[in-house]
Amino acid sequence: MKKQLCLSLVASSFLLADTDIEQLKIEMNKQQLIIEKLQEKIEKLAVAKKFEAPQIETFDQSKFMPDISLILDLSYVSRSKKDDEVAHLEVPGVVHGLLGSHSDGDVTHSTYNASNGFNLNYAELALSSSVDPYFTMDAIFHLSEHGFEIEEAFVTSTALGHGLRVKGGKFLSNFGYLNEKHHHAWSFSDMPLVYESFLGLHAINEIGAQLQWTAPTSTYLMFGAEVLQGENEQMFGNNTIGNTETPITKGSQAPSLFVGYIKSSIDIDDTTILGGLSYANGSSRVDHSQEEAPSAFSGDSSLYGVDLTIKHYFDSYSFLSWQSEWLMRDMDGIEYTLDPADISVVTATANLRKKQAGIYTQLEYGINKNFSAAIRYDTIYKNDVVESGVNMNEPDSLNGYSAMIEYKTSEFAKFRLQYNRNEALYNEDAIKQKIDTIIFQANIAIGAHGAHSF
Amino acid sequence: MRFLLLLLPLSLFANLNIAVSYPYIGALTKSIGGENVEVVVLANGNWDPHFVVPKPSLISKVRNADGLIMNGGELEIGWLPPLIKKAGNPKTNVNAKTFLNLSNHISMIDKPQSVSRSGGDLHPEGNPHFNLDPNNILILANAIKEYLSTIDSKNSHVYEKNYVIFSDMWKKKIELWNEKMLSKKGVKVVQFHNILAYFNKAYKIENIATIEPLPGIPPSSKHTVDTIELIKKEQPCCILHDVYHSTKTAEFISEKTGIKIVLIPHDIGALESVEDLTSLFDYLTSAIK
Repeated sequence: MKKQLCLSLVASSFLLADTDIEQLKIEMNKQQLIIEKLQEKIEKLAVAKKFEAPQIETFDQSKFMPDISLILDLSYVSRSKKDDEVAHLEVPGVVHGLLGSHSDGDVTHSTYNASNGFNLNYAELALSSSVDPYFTMDAIFHLSEHGFEIEEAFVTSTALGHGLRVKGGKFLSNFGYLNEKHHHAWSFSDMPLVYESFLGLHAINEIGAQLQWTAPTSTYLMFGAEVLQGENEQMFGNNTIGNTETPITKGSQAPSLFVGYIKSSIDIDDTTILGGLSYANGSSRVDHSQEEAPSAFSGDSSLYGVDLTIKHYFDSYSFLSWQSEWLMRDMDGIEYTLDPADISVVTATANLRKKQAGIYTQLEYGINKNFSAAIRYDTIYKNDVVESGVNMNEPDSLNGYSAMIEYKTSEFAKFRLQYNRNEALYNEDAIKQKIDTIIFQANIAIGAHGAHSF
Repeated sequence: MRFLLLLLPLSLFANLNIAVSYPYIGALTKSIGGENVEVVVLANGNWDPHFVVPKPSLISKVRNADGLIMNGGELEIGWLPPLIKKAGNPKTNVNAKTFLNLSNHISMIDKPQSVSRSGGDLHPEGNPHFNLDPNNILILANAIKEYLSTIDSKNSHVYEKNYVIFSDMWKKKIELWNEKMLSKKGVKVVQFHNILAYFNKAYKIENIATIEPLPGIPPSSKHTVDTIELIKKEQPCCILHDVYHSTKTAEFISEKTGIKIVLIPHDIGALESVEDLTSLFDYLTSAIK
C-alpha cells in the first residue's frame, strides 16, 4: 500500500513536471514570437534609417576617395669619407659621382642616404583607385626637399581578359627583379652597385606603354613588352646634345627604348623559385657636358638581365631568401670630348664600345615577424672600355659588401641598421678608395594597407 | 612529359574553375558545387590567414579561374589585391558577378568604435574570423549556392540539391555540437589572437584576454605580466592557441600559472587530423576538456 502510494506520488510528480515543462515551452514560444516581432520592427527601423541617411549629404563623395598612403624614409649616415670627397669619386668607365649629391645644371641629384648625418630620403605619397570597370589608376609621388617628382603615374587595364594587361603612363619597368620595386620594398637601404651604376637611382623609370601576358598554364609564365620614351640619363636617351643649330650630336626619334622579358616560377613544397630573362635596347645620348672633363656620348645600347630568386618559408613569418641578378650592358657609339672652356666645341671624337657586367647576390633570413637580417655581395667584374680600338684597361674588380639587420614594430614601421663596404670607387688620381658606411634607416607608413608582392 | 601536362590549360578538366582564398571555402564550394566545380585553394590552412605568401604561381591560379570566392572583412588585404591585379582576369575583379565576398553575407561582430592603427592592426569592418561559428557555415553555404546558381544557372538544380544534402547533414552536426558544448557555457578562455570570437559567441564562452596586447602587435612583457595576473584572478580553463603563432609566450604564462595550452585549428589543414569542415568543428568542440 505504502509502496503504491509512493509510486503514484513519484509518477504524479513526473506528470506534474511534464505539464510544467509543456507550459514553459508554450510560454517560451510566445516570448519567442514577441522577440521576433520586435526584431522585425528594429530591422524595419534600421532600413528606414538607412534610406534617411543619404538625404543628409546628398552630394557626399567621400566614399570615392582613392586609397592614400604616405611613406616617410629617413636615415642617419656615418661615412668614412667627407661628403665633398665622395661626390668626386667615380666607378671608372662606368659612372661619375655614384655616392653623394651632384648638381647637373639647375637640378640637384642625390642618391638615397647621400649625406653624412641626417637624410630625408623622401616622403612618398601613393594614391590608388579604380577608374571605371575597365581601368585602375595609381600615382606615386616622391616629395623631397628639392622638389616634387612623379615617380609613377599610370593606368592599368582590368577587363581585357585572356591574361592580358596593358599599362600606360610613367612607371617603373618590369625589367629584371628589382627594377619595378620601390625603395621601401628593397632588402637594403641602397641600390645594388650594378643597378645604380648602369641605370641610376630610379633604374628604368620611363613614360610609355607596357603589355603583359600571363600564359594560361598552371605554371606561372609571363611575357612582357614595353615601349618607353627612353630618357634614362645614365645609359639611354634621345635628346640632342649641344645647341640645336650646331649640335654636338643630334637626337634620335622617340620613343627610343624597348624592353622585353619573360618570367616563370615554380613551387617545390614551401620553396618558391622565380626566374626571369630581360632585354632592353635603345638609343643613347649621354650628356656629361656639365662635368669637370666635359664629354658626350651618342650611340645605341643594349642591356641584358638574368634574375633568380629562391625563397623558402619555414612558417607564416620566417623565411630564407636568396636573390641574385646579373646585368650586362653593351654600349656602342661615339664619344665627343668637349672643351672645358667652351662646351659647344668638340676637341676630339672617338669610337667607343663599352661591355660591362655585374652581379648582386643577397641572402636574407626573416627570423620572425619583427626581425630580419641580410647580407649582400656586389660586383662589377667586367669593364671592357674600348676607345678607337684601344682597350682603356679600366679596372674590373669593383666590389661592394653589405650587411643589415631590420626590426619592425608592426607592418607599418621598419628600422634598419646597415653596414656597407664599398671598394668600387676611384679618386681623380685613379686610386681605389675604400669607403665604410653605416646607415640607420627608418621607414614609416601611414594610410592604406600596402599589400606585398613576391 | 610532366612538364607538358603542367602547361595544359586547366579549363580542359572541369566545368567551372573556382579559386578560393582559404581551405574552408574550398571545402564548402566543393560540397555545393560537386562534380561541376573544380576548386583551387590559394592559401595554406596551417599558416596565418593574414600573411599569405603571394607566390607567382598564385597569379596563374587566379588568371585561370572562372570566379573567385574570398572571406573578406580585410582578412586578405595584405596578399590578395596584387594577385588579382597581376592576373588581369575580368572574372576575378572585385565587382564581377563571378566574384564573391563572403563577409557581405555575415553580420560581423567586434566592429571597432574608432579605427586607428594606434589600436593595432584593426579590421574596420569587424572580426573577420566568422568561419568558426558552425551556424555561419550554413549561411555561407547558402551564399555559395546562390553564387554558383547565378554564374552557372543551367546547373542550379544540382547546387540546390547539394545544398539541401549539406545543410541537412550540417544541421544534425550543429545539434551534436550544441549538446557537446552545453556544459562549457560560461567557461573562460585565453587566446593569442581573437580568432574564436564567433565560436565563443555561439557557445557562450568568455574570452578574457589575448596574449598579443593589440591585434597584430607581438606580445610585450608588461602585457604578459598583466595577463598572468588576470589568469590567476579569473581562473580560465585554458589557452586556446592558434597553430601559426609561436607558443613561447603561452608556455611562459603556463609555467607561471599552471594553465593548459590547447592548440586549436582555425581552418582545414591547420592540424593534421583536421581534414574537412566536420572534423574542424569536431576538434574545436572537443578542445575544452
